[in-house]
Amino acid sequence: MHALVGENGAGKTTLMRMLFGLDRPTEGTVVLDDAPVALASPADAAARGIGMVHQEFKLVDELTALENLVLGREPMRRGRIDWAAAREQARELARESGAGLDWDRPVAELPVEARQRLEILRLLHRRADVLILDEPTAVLGPAQVDDLLELLRGLRDRGRTIVFISHKLREVLQLADTVSVLRGGRLVETLPAAAADRDTLVTLMVGERPPVVSLAHQRAAAPAHSPAPALAAQSLGLVDRDGRRRLDDVDLTVRPGEIVGLAGVAGNGQDELVETLVGLRRPTSGTVAIDGRDVTARSVAGRRRAGLGFIPADRRGEGLAIDSSVADNAIAGLHRSDRVARGGWLKPGARERVAQAIVDAYQVRCASLKLAAGRLSGGNQQRLIMGRELAREPRLLIVSQPTRGVDVKGAAYIHGQLLALRERGVGVLLISEELDELAALSDRVVVIAGGRIAGEVAGPAPDLNAVGALMTAAPSGLKEAA
Amino acid sequence: MNQILSSAALAATPLILAAMGGLINRRGGIVNIALEGKMLLGAVFAVLVSASTGSWVLGMVAAGVAGLVGGAVFTFCVTRLGANEILAGLGFNTLAAGLIGYALKDRGTYDPSGISVPPQLHLPLIADIPVLGPIVSDKDPVTYLTWLLVPLLAWALVRTRAGLRLRAAGASQDVAHALGLRGLAIRDASTLVAGLLAGLGGGQLALALVGLFNTGMVAGRGFIAMAAFYFGRARPLPTAIGCALFALFDAIQIRLQQDGVPTQLVSTIPYLVVVGVLAFAALSARRPAKEATA
Amino acid sequence: MSTASPASVERGASLRLGLPGFAAALLRALIPIAIALVVGAILLAVTGWDPISVYRLMAQEAFGDWAAWQGTLAAATPLLFCGLATAIAFRAGAFNVGVDGSFVLGGLAAAWLGAELTGLSGWLLIPLCMIAAAIVGGLWSLPAALLRTRLGVDEVVSTLMLNYVAIGLASWIVNSLLLANGSANSASDPIAPQAQLPTIGSQATMTIGLVIALVAIVLFALWSTRSSSGFELRLAGLNPRFAEATGIDVLKVLGGAMVVSGLVGGLGGGVHALGVVHRFVDGFSPGYGFTGIAVALLARNGAWGLIPAAVLFGALASAGATVQLISAIPLDIVDVLQGTITILAAAQLVGLWRRRKAAA
Repeated sequence: MHALVGENGAGKTTLMRMLFGLDRPTEGTVVLDDAPVALASPADAAARGIGMVHQEFKLVDELTALENLVLGREPMRRGRIDWAAAREQARELARESGAGLDWDRPVAELPVEARQRLEILRLLHRRADVLILDEPTAVLGPAQVDDLLELLRGLRDRGRTIVFISHKLREVLQLADTVSVLRGGRLVETLPAAAADRDTLVTLMVGERPPVVSLAHQRAAAPAHSPAPALAAQSLGLVDRDGRRRLDDVDLTVRPGEIVGLAGVAGNGQDELVETLVGLRRPTSGTVAIDGRDVTARSVAGRRRAGLGFIPADRRGEGLAIDSSVADNAIAGLHRSDRVARGGWLKPGARERVAQAIVDAYQVRCASLKLAAGRLSGGNQQRLIMGRELAREPRLLIVSQPTRGVDVKGAAYIHGQLLALRERGVGVLLISEELDELAALSDRVVVIAGGRIAGEVAGPAPDLNAVGALMTAAPSGLKEAA
Repeated sequence: MNQILSSAALAATPLILAAMGGLINRRGGIVNIALEGKMLLGAVFAVLVSASTGSWVLGMVAAGVAGLVGGAVFTFCVTRLGANEILAGLGFNTLAAGLIGYALKDRGTYDPSGISVPPQLHLPLIADIPVLGPIVSDKDPVTYLTWLLVPLLAWALVRTRAGLRLRAAGASQDVAHALGLRGLAIRDASTLVAGLLAGLGGGQLALALVGLFNTGMVAGRGFIAMAAFYFGRARPLPTAIGCALFALFDAIQIRLQQDGVPTQLVSTIPYLVVVGVLAFAALSARRPAKEATA
Repeated sequence: MSTASPASVERGASLRLGLPGFAAALLRALIPIAIALVVGAILLAVTGWDPISVYRLMAQEAFGDWAAWQGTLAAATPLLFCGLATAIAFRAGAFNVGVDGSFVLGGLAAAWLGAELTGLSGWLLIPLCMIAAAIVGGLWSLPAALLRTRLGVDEVVSTLMLNYVAIGLASWIVNSLLLANGSANSASDPIAPQAQLPTIGSQATMTIGLVIALVAIVLFALWSTRSSSGFELRLAGLNPRFAEATGIDVLKVLGGAMVVSGLVGGLGGGVHALGVVHRFVDGFSPGYGFTGIAVALLARNGAWGLIPAAVLFGALASAGATVQLISAIPLDIVDVLQGTITILAAAQLVGLWRRRKAAA
């Protein structure tokens, strides 16, 4: 039982994908049972006895559990699927691993832990000897985690090899025989679990960093322009269509002239939080107020009018219209404002003027304003988006993964812009997977885990170890390791 | 009334055949709007071959083959050329109508002599049962086979490997790929089968129902079949019921025409019913969602 | 349904080819036409005609002299309207294939008013009929638009079905309420002389309707590039997620586009009724709506492309009709060409070889 740990972006998923044949390594080889192998595809890996359970389950929702189990390896009899044999196989697997399932329900109706069990059983059905699990406990509640760990222990005891990626260090220590820590794409260390403890692991994951110079500390925050917080979210709750709770009683405040960083393991509710704050989704409970005004019932357009600016993580899908010109992208959102339009008609030349102004002010490198935005480099795209959003002079800026895919110089520029906003009294909510970025910019860091706010670490230069600890705290039933 | 039921049951067959084809295609992940064109092709080839060979069986076979070829062209355009399936489907319908019209040299109706139509089988005892009799008895073999096809298809979707893999590939190409299924081949196959069935539907329409070919004879039935499997959520039995419903309205409107109610107005009834059904289906799909978030 | 939006035909080939947008658009339009001509040639050859001479004849009948040109332009006029109507909806990402229905009902309304209000002068009557036609056309597309925006009902099926309903409805009306006295075939009373659109040029079918169509296209071009709502339309169709995040109400844009689409279609019907047919008849629209789809696709939903595309199909229709009289080649050859062009124009031919290489 081998655990793989590391922060976001350390390379864990990439490594696992290579083990499973989804990606090809540019260097090095995969060695299976002392023989090097080149895995061309998932089917290839499966044939060799390697199976993987992804974070997003590869299950067909419309089919039943039993159908999903045998899909691709259906037992046949006289040209038809032998469902009796399939059921027998399912029961055998369930017995062997001690996990039961309601085989005839469509997967869409099964709770998450049942789906995961199904994925694992499917691997066993395909005679996998090596099982790779990507963040298996991320979607589970405490009791279910115990069940899963039981199941995995049983499999291990029966000779199977299990590799799993996890952020929940408590579980890692409880379950794994060996732990490997990745950081920045390298293997930092492999150690037996017995020899490790929480703090050691966190330090290895986060690394011996020179204390991060808090840029925020260097520039004083402006006195608040208005007494109202830029953002006040209270008791936000969200239950999605499948009945899963994504946000649980979230309270979040951002004051004017403050940068609040939001940290968390990917998939713990950040996306949903952003969507409810921006107005792309309706929360099932709770309120959102921007600049003191209640905007819970308002659409995205309404919230923007109240002073919201938004730089999404999905640059090419949501941040830009990649087929449209730079000029068009620059005025998107402004196309009804006085600067650009009058009476529903765009003022002649206004688009070019405003676009040029943004391009100049934010040093967006593009050959011409007519160029399709999709052809700009990542850094320039981000500058364009930033310029556009800031041109509306928001009171609150929600920015997600601002420097993803951006070069060093571009990242520095963006950081400078965010700090300048802070000085001007704008409230900024910064969601990022880069802990360094959060540390450098945030006045304080709020950590979200499992859809709720796990805690807060004060700045300036928030202690990353504390942040990491909050991120990896498992709300599970496992007792704290003594 | 009996007559209406009887003609409705007969008229439902081409709809059911095309709808089953469209359903299979939909399960495989493609919306086939070109059922109309394939029915047309099937109809014309059925009449052609039936008249020249004197055998309605060969005519039906030809109809199926014609639809199959149409399906092949369609899947080529959609999967290999990357055409938007709706637009390509509409274009295909126009193309098919054009090719046929061209071949008929603008005659509009093709009524060759010597055409062989399938016999109507009279079932002695059953025919006398009050409501069921007129529906079940005196239908051509193709209709009876179609009735068998519906439950057979429902069974096959669940119980055969092809059915399972079809449903999986159509629902999620991503998962299918991860599990090693050949998504492209599955989609191709589903389109070919859809073409085959639609062609057969057209053939039955021409031979068993009308007895000749007329360029306007399909009259939107391909689209109605599409609406049927939308309404039936791509499940064989509800889809077939939907087809039967539309055929019933069709038969009613024909009868109303005979009674002197204005033709054109009444002919719009089936199409209005389709729209109404879609609206109703959408409404009922919304309500549970509303309750969940309440 | 999860099929791609009809606005996706606008995705620039220039991105992939590196050509200026105009040249790339031209190339993308010419390839389907060229292939279609080849297909047509094969068909002709197989049935015993010499393709070259047939095409030459058609070219002559379409563009040979001024009279031929007028025939072409007159045939292109309804296609300009239907193409424009379709393009507007497609741009917003709405698959409105029910333009035919709006066209027919709009024409009916115009023909009826034109025959009823004989007391009014031409200056008043003509605009009145046009406005009525447009309104009727717009109202007709309203149900489908509402079904889509409020209930999420797929507009392809609904507009298709409503097409048939419109045709049936109009047919009934012309055969009962509006049947011309003593007329055996289904036609309404002829419109008052002053309601007939003034002609330009020597042919009777060449009317100011063409001018109206061109004006409409120019207005559309201006509106889509220069207005805020035109801006929103484009974004909503190409990048709905982005548009939503920017604060654009995508559903409202979609619904509005569908209604405007109906308005334009209705207007086209009015022009056709007042200008060419001078009454309403059964078979008023020989599939103008569907040809309009081909026109919009060739033009990639762009205003300026609509003109050559409509002229092309107008030429095919006009020349095809004459050729049919002369040489008994069925008019359906035009349908063959049109269908082929539609399919190919919907395909992503550009970049095909690149994608195949990537997949290999």
